Amino acid sequence: MSNEILLKATDVVKTFSTRSKKFGRPHLATAVNGVSLEIRRGETLGIVGESGCGKSTLARCLVQLLPTTSGSVVFEGVEISKLSRRALRPLRRKMQLVFQDPYASLNPRRTVGDIVAEPLRINKFGTEVVIQERVRELFRTVGLDVNSLTRYPHEFSGGQRQRIGIARALALNPSLVVADEPVSALDVSVQAQVLNLMADLQDKFNLTYLFIAHDLGVVRHVSDRVGVMYLGEIVELGDADELYDRPMHPYTEALLSVVPELNDTDAPRRERIILKGDVPDPADRPSGCSFHPRCPVATDKCKEVKPALVEIRPGRSVACHYPKNAG
Amino acid sequence: MPESPVLKVSDLKVTFATRQGPLRAVDGLSFEVAPKEVVGIVGESGSGKSVSMYSMLGLVRDANVTITGSVEFQGREILGLSDKEMQPIRGGEIGMIFQDPMTALTPVYTVGWQIVEQLRTHTTMTKAQARERAIELLSEVGIPDPRKRIDHYPHEFSGGMRQRVVIAMALSCNPKLLIADEPTTALDVTTQAQILDLMVKLQDSYNSSIVIITHDMGVIAEMAHRVVVMYAGRPAEVGPEIDVVRNPRHPYTWGLLGAVPRIESRNDRLATIPGNAVSPLDIPEGCAFADRCEYRMDICTKRPQLKGANDHLDACWLSDEQRVAIRTKASS
Repeated sequence: MSNEILLKATDVVKTFSTRSKKFGRPHLATAVNGVSLEIRRGETLGIVGESGCGKSTLARCLVQLLPTTSGSVVFEGVEISKLSRRALRPLRRKMQLVFQDPYASLNPRRTVGDIVAEPLRINKFGTEVVIQERVRELFRTVGLDVNSLTRYPHEFSGGQRQRIGIARALALNPSLVVADEPVSALDVSVQAQVLNLMADLQDKFNLTYLFIAHDLGVVRHVSDRVGVMYLGEIVELGDADELYDRPMHPYTEALLSVVPELNDTDAPRRERIILKGDVPDPADRPSGCSFHPRCPVATDKCKEVKPALVEIRPGRSVACHYPKNAG
Repeated sequence: MPESPVLKVSDLKVTFATRQGPLRAVDGLSFEVAPKEVVGIVGESGSGKSVSMYSMLGLVRDANVTITGSVEFQGREILGLSDKEMQPIRGGEIGMIFQDPMTALTPVYTVGWQIVEQLRTHTTMTKAQARERAIELLSEVGIPDPRKRIDHYPHEFSGGMRQRVVIAMALSCNPKLLIADEPTTALDVTTQAQILDLMVKLQDSYNSSIVIITHDMGVIAEMAHRVVVMYAGRPAEVGPEIDVVRNPRHPYTWGLLGAVPRIESRNDRLATIPGNAVSPLDIPEGCAFADRCEYRMDICTKRPQLKGANDHLDACWLSDEQRVAIRTKASS
């Protein structure tokens, strides 16, 4: 991992306009509410959060699959959030995606060889012979049989399909791969195979991953640094081991405490912090700290003053008035 | 076991006749559930864990299905009962919680209507009594303001709240046995914690036995007293939770536990099980796991039976000495 910053997002906001229950009045839901982060070349930044916290929307904004409402995204030194589609195109090949659902993200009417060749053809990678050779090479790289190039997606299992999705993402030698819940549709034994493959590919091609998942175990396993999202904001960010061993934000602490434990050692069981209630509607945010209605340690200050994400020590940030483990 | 089991399943087999030949979804499943016991059934997708539960309850109605074996509920054989005979059992003495709370509830009626209907079917309550009981149930499962919420429709509840409504329905008739099929898979981890916590509390006050079906070893470890690990429709390992998790005996269980990424610590590589789950259309005559097993031996072409000491059983040909040697090597 180098210290070179591959992608830098500053105060990214994404709002969606919805209709409120009151007839016809437009209503703004803020899915991403002022996120700033940096991704360094060669690292894996994990983003973890519960459904609806805006982690997928954030990822799509960072690679400009969705236009940002405001804020800036600088990728390899270029401000990309204001570029036109045409100007963005040459940069797109450097930012590739792996999607959650290996069934929906592959066109069922095309052979898997064609699916992996498509980005190469669009970007005029070379002659058809060169492209076919590249596709075979990619298939070998992700551990698929090169004799299956003419088969269709439905003939593959979930894990194999995810390998096809990864081969497609790698076709153009991207520098950033955004993986949005890449293993959550897979069984645990197959999930482990795909995670190991992604780790091998990262070493081999010096890839940078933005890895989004709701499974805290998976995120710890793959990430160098982790950001925890709640209601469209990053509430805590830091080195993966540090953050998991000594969470600072009460939300992170509660989240980690309730992951079901295998209990296969004599270590005492974690004390579980069970949060009350549900995640609020992003169209109707609480005042002050977004987490205060569910927070076990909230005070009056939390209801009024919104805490900023501040760096407590180098590489370790938290958005809380009363962070734990801060000393 | 001192008390007679609430549920006793013996050699349950569920086979679907398909154009490609017989599909053996469940192939010789046996287990018992003691009163107040929580039994976890764990396995990957396609291992037959859900289909075994549905066929027990007469919910598999495919014309091409053959179900054999025996399922005794409180000493009475329930496999093959008619719908009319099953009706007081399903929803009355056996409650069910499904994975997806949105499809388990009908969207066109209020949740109150649905709970009242169930109570009126299985008990002699009047409408007014049933409504009072429904409000009581909603408050027991932790739904705030139940008197108002009872007249709301399922879509007005969040996922976690909906699952609470489903649990309230399942418990409405004081069932002896609760079958929960992936009750928290569709939920976020903080909501999952709320629901698991609720199930443990309610099990205590209702004295029900629970069969919980899940693919998540963590959920099993939190909830279950005993575990059945299924692979390809067959039980691979059966035993007390703590023994199975700490001293797993079957190579499949080793793989399953090793493949779980942990939040406590980080390893460079996860253990994997090579290959993919075997297709239920061609399960080998011998051990179903043999093709993916690192420790395969010649004898594995013969099907191993569940055996073992005390109540920790497994279906594998490895001898105790071989297992000790493999596990010591793996942990060093």
